[in-house]
Amino acid sequence: MAYIRKRNRKIFLIFMMPAVLVLFGTTIYPMLYAGYLSFRSYDLAKLFVPRVYVGWANYREILSSSEFLHTLIVTFKLMAMTLSVQLVLGVGIALLVTQRLPGMGVARTLLLIPMMISPVIVGLVWLFLYFPELGYLNYFLSFLGLGPYAWITSTDWALWAIAIADIWQWTPFVMMGTAAALTNLSPEPFEAAKLDGNSPFDVFWRVTLPQIRPVLISLMFLRAIDAFKIYDIIFVLTKGGPGDTTEVLSMFIYRQSFTFWRMGVGAAASFVSLVIIVVLITLFFKSLNRDPHQA
Amino acid sequence: MKHFKTLVVAGAVSLVCGGLASAGEFDDVELKMLAIGDTSVTRLAPIVGEFEELTGAKVQIDQFPYPGLIDKIVIEASANTPSYQLMWVDSPWVGVLGESGALEDLTDLVKRDAAEINLDDIVPIQLQENTWQGRLLAFPASGMIWHQNYRKDLYEHPDEQAAFKAKYGYDLAPAQTWDQYIDIAEFFTRKAGDTLAGETLEKDFYGNAQAYSRVAGAITHDFFPIMRSFGGQYWDPETGLCAMDGEAALAAAEVMKKLVAFNPPDYLGLMWDIRTGYMERGETAQSSYWSVRTVRLTNPDEAVLPTIGEAGYAPSPTGDGNAQPTMTGALSFGINSKATEREKEAAWAFIKWGTSRDMMRRFANEGSGVSQFHKSILSDAGLQEKYPYYQVLLDTQENAQRRIFHPFYADVEEVFGVELNKYMAGETESAQEALTNACTKINTRLKVFPQDMRLRWIADPKAEIFN
Repeated sequence: MAYIRKRNRKIFLIFMMPAVLVLFGTTIYPMLYAGYLSFRSYDLAKLFVPRVYVGWANYREILSSSEFLHTLIVTFKLMAMTLSVQLVLGVGIALLVTQRLPGMGVARTLLLIPMMISPVIVGLVWLFLYFPELGYLNYFLSFLGLGPYAWITSTDWALWAIAIADIWQWTPFVMMGTAAALTNLSPEPFEAAKLDGNSPFDVFWRVTLPQIRPVLISLMFLRAIDAFKIYDIIFVLTKGGPGDTTEVLSMFIYRQSFTFWRMGVGAAASFVSLVIIVVLITLFFKSLNRDPHQA
Repeated sequence: MKHFKTLVVAGAVSLVCGGLASAGEFDDVELKMLAIGDTSVTRLAPIVGEFEELTGAKVQIDQFPYPGLIDKIVIEASANTPSYQLMWVDSPWVGVLGESGALEDLTDLVKRDAAEINLDDIVPIQLQENTWQGRLLAFPASGMIWHQNYRKDLYEHPDEQAAFKAKYGYDLAPAQTWDQYIDIAEFFTRKAGDTLAGETLEKDFYGNAQAYSRVAGAITHDFFPIMRSFGGQYWDPETGLCAMDGEAALAAAEVMKKLVAFNPPDYLGLMWDIRTGYMERGETAQSSYWSVRTVRLTNPDEAVLPTIGEAGYAPSPTGDGNAQPTMTGALSFGINSKATEREKEAAWAFIKWGTSRDMMRRFANEGSGVSQFHKSILSDAGLQEKYPYYQVLLDTQENAQRRIFHPFYADVEEVFGVELNKYMAGETESAQEALTNACTKINTRLKVFPQDMRLRWIADPKAEIFN
């Protein structure tokens, strides 16, 4: 028996080894190396800059920088803009496509397309739409006597322009998750609520929403983590401009690492970003475990 | 007899190639070039097969947009086994690439082949542009100066001339001062439905188009030449620290801010190519930019303007109308210092072939010239008729000043790009605040280094090829 257990453990280790090696090579080692870099002065372009240990200097520089604080504010602002609209639209569309109406199956499939497109392509699609002189959006608005608007080059519009592109791409994700939750709801509470004479809004507010709440929280936190890391669409549409209107945390990390080539500072900023995401995830799990009736 | 024949054939080929390399000499070499998709390369790329026929070396040119190209070059330079033997180099990058030892020193090769490459015929500042601490690290493939382009047909229209004189009290002519430039921009800014040169406009017409985008520091590519035209310099010669927040820089930032009202509404996103597009489509009265794209204004296949009007060319305006050395720049080819000796030989042969006077004259004759850098081509009467801006190029380079070449150029370009863009967008209240912010950030990075090092970085000893 002991021999079999020992042999099984060996086989277990052999089968686990490739996964552990891949995980170590692709996740753990780069993270450890980034941690090492974050305590060093490391300039990839300027080989004459000494690559030395600098202690917490990179972290101190980031945390005391008004630029970093600004990018954090922009990131959370964008997150709030996209998540709120995605939640409302996603739930609304899910309610619509789960109705037994003709064509809803096809509509549901078509609505998922934006989610399947690479964010860089989404950025390019919206770049063609937003382009001030030759963009389709201004072209069509001109028939209504409106515009032209500098969608991505105006400090008033640029963040909204990015939010709209992100909302277009990721609302289907919220819709899909919500629709799945709605489909699995038991019909009895709805019938009872209708018999009690509740309006459709009351039914939604008092019966539907409480039941799908855990799913919505999961979807929102998954989206929040994604929104926190948004990069591709901004890189294609504005590269952080005009001014620093759309300079989010990921752009800050990119600029430090690949424009100024200060890999140490970039790595430190990545770790600060990681801490923020970990805090978000912790909050997420705490809120999931909380009993809504105690609130 | 057989050997004699071979010698004759080899001699003939050698003559045809201008002493370049013998046929098949580099049969075993494959060269890859990391390059930009702009005139200095796009003219050459389709005909690299000719080089292969001459020398046997295969050449592949990979073209990328300017933004991000230096990133690829830096990564390539930091690799131990290079994928690219040839690199396209914008002259401001010479400092960082030179200090890091990424580029092969071409000084001795140029001295050796001086006669073959007609060294004396090249505008000297174009060679100086490519030096780092006196050593030549790249060879010009296109020479640039910053100058103004304008709608000659509109400036010469009698109605416009009369209206301008009545409004501003002086004759309409290419601006000599920035105040005049602003007047002209204001005068020509018209709405759809207004009249321009006797015709009703179908769409808005702009008085000016400049680069204001922060992407790849595009705004700085216009700001620094304007700063220079006010007599400004990049660095403090005593300390080697940032001097781009002085009076000249302030005046330049304010000129650009005043011009905002006469630019297209998407001015904050105007990259150099979008900006030149307005001029090429004839949608702006004037636009000052680097001469690398000026050639397009003469070619109806590449621009609308030659079909609807005529472009005129003049030196950059200055602060007070008195001459100031204009900024120049060079778009060049360099050799990766980590390439093998054999590859370096072939790469140098390619550079000589691709930048030769004959090749440049051929481009000019075909109507698809690059921004030229040979004195004999720029002063050729026949070519000047075809490319009227040649005279401006020739004259201004007589007394031109080298562009920034500091190892921290990327930092300067990015930091000033963002700060100036914020000021133009109204996010920063004053030009002084924007410039002080930018200089403070640059100085924080520079002060880590000893002063003698900083002073060495801004020193520009005469290229050793001239000794």
